[in-house]
Amino acid sequence: MFLVGVIYIVIIIICYAFLWPIDRDKALQSLRLSWQSLLKLLPLLIAIFGLVGLFQEFIPPELVARLLGKSSGLFSLLISTFAGAISIGPPLAAYPLAETLLKAGAWPPAIAAFIFSWISIGVITLPFEAATFGARFALLRNGISFIAAMLCGLILGFLL
Amino acid sequence: MIRVLLRSQWLLIATILLYGLAFLVNPEQASQALTSAATTFSSVLPLIIAVFCLVGLLHVWISRDRIVRLLGHEGGLKSLVIAALCGTLLMGPAYIIFPLLMEIQKRGARWAVVTIVLTSYAVKLQMIPIEAGFLGWPFTLGRALITIALAIPTGLLVEAMMERQQKL
Repeated sequence: MFLVGVIYIVIIIICYAFLWPIDRDKALQSLRLSWQSLLKLLPLLIAIFGLVGLFQEFIPPELVARLLGKSSGLFSLLISTFAGAISIGPPLAAYPLAETLLKAGAWPPAIAAFIFSWISIGVITLPFEAATFGARFALLRNGISFIAAMLCGLILGFLL
Repeated sequence: MIRVLLRSQWLLIATILLYGLAFLVNPEQASQALTSAATTFSSVLPLIIAVFCLVGLLHVWISRDRIVRLLGHEGGLKSLVIAALCGTLLMGPAYIIFPLLMEIQKRGARWAVVTIVLTSYAVKLQMIPIEAGFLGWPFTLGRALITIALAIPTGLLVEAMMERQQKL
């Protein structure tokens, strides 16, 4: 991840090397704008990362797994989508967990819904999403994605 | 002064208070949490900086017209496909690109584009072999295809509901 970010920065520096001779004022203006928006949103981002750390430590995946393991059928679909929505972390962490759950006999549609909502629904990041896009969009997007996650699971169950 | 700080930085303040509470309850776990937060943050910091650099570049150098043509309503189906592609290819946690998405939205991209990028984030093209290693190919491919197929109607639905509000 670190390396990818560094590569992006290098590409951006190359962009600036080309843009600088074209229009120095505009290049400066875009740098200033970047800096200002970074300063504005950095405290929020720090807060979100802090929350994510707290969450991962105090509500570990094992707890989520226990929550999922006890249920079945449509109810498990709802529970697992909800569990995915409140969980947060890289997809790489979701796969092994999903595998364990599947091997333990969890319903595959519930697991598909879990991965979907794990990545694209963020209850913890909701305050940040609302601050950038407005509360209406944040709630609509997460709400409709919740339904989409369950649909994704159901369709997959139908196909497999 | 304090009021302004409370209103603008309530989330940061709440997080600090939560950490205070966590350190009282279980100092060991709390410091673990802090370490893991710091590790994640430092590993994505270059990506965050890159995202904000892009926000600035986009704002100054890419004309509104071009964004409208490519990612606005004028873009039609093309705009939706670009969004789905970007969502499946982009790396890092979804929330760090929020500012970039908001910037393109303000400059004429449609709400469906923003939503589709965030929904198709649930598929990571680079990760598919890894996911298949854990969960098997039928499950992985099926999930990826269904997710992309659902991302577009999700985006259009969110957009329709956002635009209905603007008309009222």
